[in-house]
Amino acid sequence: MGKPSEKSLERVERMVTNFCEKSGTFRHPDPKITEGVVLGLAANLDELGRPLCPCRFYPDKKEEVKHRTWICPCDDMNVYKYCHCLLFCTPEGLPVTEHLPADHEGRGTWGEVKDPTPEKGRALKHKAEEREAERIARKS
Amino acid sequence: MGDATVAVSDSTWTDEVENHKGFALADFWAEWCGPCRMIAPTLDELAREYGAALKVVKVDVQENTEIAGKFGISSIPCLILFKDGQEIDRVVGVKNKSQFKAWIDGKMAG
Repeated sequence: MGKPSEKSLERVERMVTNFCEKSGTFRHPDPKITEGVVLGLAANLDELGRPLCPCRFYPDKKEEVKHRTWICPCDDMNVYKYCHCLLFCTPEGLPVTEHLPADHEGRGTWGEVKDPTPEKGRALKHKAEEREAERIARKS
Repeated sequence: MGDATVAVSDSTWTDEVENHKGFALADFWAEWCGPCRMIAPTLDELAREYGAALKVVKVDVQENTEIAGKFGISSIPCLILFKDGQEIDRVVGVKNKSQFKAWIDGKMAG
């Protein structure tokens, strides 16, 4: 993948800043982690017109963007407040996992990480059942 | 990428992994994936420590879609452990070095 445009980089940076505030999450303490993900999102924004999550493999990216699931901030973030990419973290740089289903891979990887700001975020938490059904039916 | 790991592509996969006798660990990763960046130094250390006992290869999923698709990769990093070219187990996401070692040692011991 080539270097993304300045316009897309600025747009993604703005989105990250605004969404951290809105969701009560924080950037990773290692700026290189955030920088990499921002570059990936911006590159996908250039290529696909949407900031598709760069921490997954999609057999067909163009098909994938027809779904809402992995457009950042993704459904896992909006339902469970979980960011596999580590873009939206706790102050310690961990992903929030306490709202995830018990068998979600995030729980297996990180254990239970408490939400430091439960009053914020999870705008789509009422869609948890829908998300769970999709997570099982459509892996990507 | 560290010196101890081997970059593998769709075209070299068969020779490097499927035809490899013994254990191989394949890291499916992407350049702009935060967790992939986090575990990269650990994998390099593991490759050095295990030496000939474990071949550690890296597959960039952006460039090598055929292999990533064949193994049903979704979340990355995804690490797949092979014995004599056959998958024996996989883990997804970040773990620390001792967790990776415990997983690898357990599987290598059979």
